[in-house]
Amino acid sequence: MHAGTSTTHDAHDVHDHIHPPPEGFVRKYVFSLDHKVIGFQYFFTGLLIMFIAGSFAELVRLQLTDPKGAIMSHQAYNTMFTMHGTAMVWLVLIPLVTGALGNFVMPLQIGARDVAFPWLNMASFWILPLAALILFSSLLFGGPHAGWTEYPPISLADGTAGALWCAAIFTIGISSTMTGLNFMVTIMKMRAPGMTWTRMPLFVWATFATALMNMIATVALSAAVGALFLEHVFNVPFYDAARGGSAVLYEHMFWFYSHPAVYIFIIPAFGVVSEVIPTFSRKPIFGYKMIAFSSMAIAILAFTVWAHHMFPSGLAPWLQLPFMILTYAIGIPTGIKIFSWMATLWGGRIHFTTSMLYALGFLITFTFGGITGVFLASVPVDLHAHGTYFVVGHFHYVVAGGAVMGFLAAIPYWYPKATGRMLSERLGQLGFWLFFIGLNGTFLPMHWLGLEGMPRRYASYVDFAKAVPDAVFWNQFETAFSFLMMASIGLLAFNVIWSLRHGKVAGINPWGARTLEWTISSPPPYYNFKKVPEVYGRPYDFDKPLPYRNTDNELDAFPEYGKTVMPTPQPVGAGV
Amino acid sequence: MAAAAVQHLAGHEAVAARYRDVDRAYGETRDLRLLGFMFFLVSDCILFSSFIFAYVYLRVSAPTWPPIVDGHQLPWFDTSFAAMNSVVLFGSGVTMHFALENWKHLNTRKFNGWLIATIVLGIGFLLGQAHEYSVVNISWQGSTMGASFFTLTGMHGFHVFIGVCYLAILGIQANRGVYTSSKYFGLTAGTLYWHFVDVIWVALFSLFYLW
Ligand SMILES: [Cu+2]
Repeated sequence: MHAGTSTTHDAHDVHDHIHPPPEGFVRKYVFSLDHKVIGFQYFFTGLLIMFIAGSFAELVRLQLTDPKGAIMSHQAYNTMFTMHGTAMVWLVLIPLVTGALGNFVMPLQIGARDVAFPWLNMASFWILPLAALILFSSLLFGGPHAGWTEYPPISLADGTAGALWCAAIFTIGISSTMTGLNFMVTIMKMRAPGMTWTRMPLFVWATFATALMNMIATVALSAAVGALFLEHVFNVPFYDAARGGSAVLYEHMFWFYSHPAVYIFIIPAFGVVSEVIPTFSRKPIFGYKMIAFSSMAIAILAFTVWAHHMFPSGLAPWLQLPFMILTYAIGIPTGIKIFSWMATLWGGRIHFTTSMLYALGFLITFTFGGITGVFLASVPVDLHAHGTYFVVGHFHYVVAGGAVMGFLAAIPYWYPKATGRMLSERLGQLGFWLFFIGLNGTFLPMHWLGLEGMPRRYASYVDFAKAVPDAVFWNQFETAFSFLMMASIGLLAFNVIWSLRHGKVAGINPWGARTLEWTISSPPPYYNFKKVPEVYGRPYDFDKPLPYRNTDNELDAFPEYGKTVMPTPQPVGAGV
Repeated sequence: MAAAAVQHLAGHEAVAARYRDVDRAYGETRDLRLLGFMFFLVSDCILFSSFIFAYVYLRVSAPTWPPIVDGHQLPWFDTSFAAMNSVVLFGSGVTMHFALENWKHLNTRKFNGWLIATIVLGIGFLLGQAHEYSVVNISWQGSTMGASFFTLTGMHGFHVFIGVCYLAILGIQANRGVYTSSKYFGLTAGTLYWHFVDVIWVALFSLFYLW
């Protein structure tokens, strides 16, 4: 094993010679080529847009406190939920989980000095603020109204705002595709010597599956919105039924991307949970290969199920059946993951840090959202529930309870590595409970409201409130709880900034974790690894010495975890 | 480490060793770029495939094809002219192949000749395409047939145009000594791109003119 890797190792010495870090503010922090800095740029941009898009959601919630619509016109309401969905999916979630987490963590975990194409990486990032500007500028033209999917023919009435929406999505699509391509090449070609595919950390597997979907599916979306753009601007008939076009065609092209898109942000969350749970259970991960391969299985199956979003759109019955069965099939690899994580927890020494709380919360909320997803996969159920709040509840359990919770688990976990300081555990744990309670309070009642027939995307629900008098109470209840989530994100932003100065010094490996990024200093130097390490095992065997040779610090002689500064778990509200 | 090792070697050997290292390093970056470029072509291919899917979907679900607009059925495309134009484009793929082969064998003059032939054929194809646009009896906005035809062939023509510019730049770079007989990644990429554009045309030609 060791002898076999020595030749590649020489080559790495030549190729990966250490460049001097750039000088000057602009080269260092603005147009930086360093994957770590680019990760930070994605993080802060994504968080900023998350506040904007979250405020849109709060406006939507406030409107629904009164069945007649409390605060704005129906037109404005349509714009608000459209902008909320669009911004959250394309400008917040995907940039945060691939751009921020993938960029910062993945090259460190494979022992690389940067991604394969740093210039492309920088360009991918700078497209994000550009796309955000285009999208938000559509508000000046009245904003798009047709929901985050912008189905024609309704969206064709959006005029300039609709065209700007298409331009923004097309632009951000280029960024996603380039990031996917870049990460694919990085993972395939730049792993440290000895790091075979089945020795890669699980977060890297997740990033690989995500990059594959990003590279393949996003282009289909670009085509869908590109054609919509042509129809808006040049009146070219692709979707206009009056001239032979087909709105269902748009749905096919849109969902061929947008079903994988859901996995583009959920699979990195799986990766995070697969790192956090073994670290804080002090146990090898159960079923490494099952978790790794099920990520790939989910990524591949993701391309075969798109039409389950179109059951009410008049899909031929002979087509409905295979899409229903394939959608059920995705439950299998997903279930394998859930059980592997639970088996990892079983009998472990569990440390209830903020990260671990989020990971455990993820297991609960994501599993719940996954199960309601299996309900919706069934054609007869979907035909009834599709237009109701049941779908909104399901989707937000998967996205807020899955992707966002996974992301929130990652922040306290890698923040010490990124900055050299620990996040405040007390603020973090308080933030977790706010988020977890807020999430369930907001989205759980949507399930029964939906089953009772509350239609989604309506600016008022006078008739429904007459039929179901409870509806007003539950909507006000949801609105109240939704502010807890906002408070939690605000607390996170405060924590992130406050701890830069005041956090405890982290040291190399505060959690006693075992992937490669924890063998170098915090924050890592510009070139990451002074010597490119050699890998001769998987990173999760907590009972064995670290499987690395040639690391450039004292961790080689670090069999125990005596140096960790793992905070002792404290109940919320206990003294500092 | 490599630099230190080089210092210990004497004269001739040191130079040889340094070049071995550089070659190896080149091999690695070449691998990265080649794979990245292949992935770029894959995603570009999916862009075309999506629009081709749209065209096939619209055509299959239409009650008549060519569609009827204002009571008149639209005409079919002129297959014979497009076939001639296709020969021009496929011929340019052959000349490009010879250009690259000659570069590998350090035949700069022949390389230049074949490359110029490729560029001329590429421009010829674009002119043929422009002629077709001017005589074809349908419009971009008028029907789904026109929408798919002009969008897809327009995208393809744009790719050919970019390819012609790219090949011209590559030719200038090659004559300035940017590439050697063993390090010519730019030329490999240009050739791959050019063949890719050919392959896309095979699909478009069969779907619009033969189906
Ligand atoms: Cu789906």
